[in-house]
Amino acid sequence: MRYVVPGFQKAVLKKLEALGHGIFYLTLRIAGQPGAYALLVPVVLTYVSASRRIHQLTSPYLRKRFPKHNPVERWRDTFRIVHSFGQVLVDRAWLGLNRSARLHCSLDEWDTILGLIEQRKGLVLLTAHVGNWQVALAHLKDLPVPVHALMHYEEEVVAKHYFDLRGESCPFRIIKTDGFLGGVVEATAAIQRGEVVTIMGDRLAGGPSATVKFLDSQIRFPAGVYRLAAATGAPVAVLLAAKTGRQSYHLRVWDVFHPSYSSRKHREADLTAWTSRFSKALEAYVTQFPYQWYNFYDFWNQ
Amino acid sequence: MDQLKQQLKEMIVQDLNLPDVKPEDIDDKASLFEEGLGLDSLDAVELVVLLQKRFGVQIADMDEGKEAFASIEALAQFVQAHQGSSESTGTSVSAT
Repeated sequence: MRYVVPGFQKAVLKKLEALGHGIFYLTLRIAGQPGAYALLVPVVLTYVSASRRIHQLTSPYLRKRFPKHNPVERWRDTFRIVHSFGQVLVDRAWLGLNRSARLHCSLDEWDTILGLIEQRKGLVLLTAHVGNWQVALAHLKDLPVPVHALMHYEEEVVAKHYFDLRGESCPFRIIKTDGFLGGVVEATAAIQRGEVVTIMGDRLAGGPSATVKFLDSQIRFPAGVYRLAAATGAPVAVLLAAKTGRQSYHLRVWDVFHPSYSSRKHREADLTAWTSRFSKALEAYVTQFPYQWYNFYDFWNQ
Repeated sequence: MDQLKQQLKEMIVQDLNLPDVKPEDIDDKASLFEEGLGLDSLDAVELVVLLQKRFGVQIADMDEGKEAFASIEALAQFVQAHQGSSESTGTSVSAT
């Protein structure tokens, strides 16, 4: 009778994972970003072929985004989305290992952001787990006012790790959502001073939500951020980054709106309407960049 | 101070839209959040904005928020202590 100790199995998997990372880092050092990209293809092919789990994680999104795709096309979609995510991870590691490495980033409607800041009403910058959000956040250092990022622990660790690897100071101050009242006191005060607060608008982690349509199905998105904007009078801009080439990203303002309650009676309807603006911007993004969606869980059940 | 506490209670009930609560129902020493009055984090946003608009008082960080939002009594003390230290943009209320 074979008997495998789960702890032993876990330890072996952990070692294999570390070995995988080591091989990628070594390839990056020897062959740079193109070498790691080349290595990525067989690794992702093997992973997508061998792991049922990855298909389970990507299928909620892919089924909504490509409802008519057959199983072969769905397999290819899974490969492309995992490959695209792998490239983002390689880019991050490459930037960290090679201080002279640069990604070209084109900016669209950056003047819109500057114009909103000049109004001195503060600004809520909404982003999402698509493309490379660290690239989007890195550009915030060029803004003329302090920037604060409302983040939970996991996002904070990833963001700090990204800038630590680069040897760069973090371009924004992190407001922890696990602090008193979810950090909203600091966020409100920052907006009142005319500063920028950036928040991930896609993942629901408790708090108020609104149900809106996204990719032809109803879904709950966080809605608290719009209450913050409406209470303070700050405009909201949706800023998303997309990978457009091996060493290029495109950063674009997908929508700008000014949440203001029409009446006390219609607050819930107003919140739903603003949430819908974000959902439509996100939908436009995934229509253009379908394989840069990195919410690998049942997003429609959040 | 009693007048200020009353004004704060009325502001909370009216502006935070609490139809089931009357100003006189709010205990001076009860917490404004969670088990006390039951306000949530987003009510805090509106409260911070209201305090700035009505009393010219700004709550800048978590520590100040914790101190001010402990109860109506704490909030009144906070407003009284900070009024005048920041410029009012709305109706100024003199504490009694």
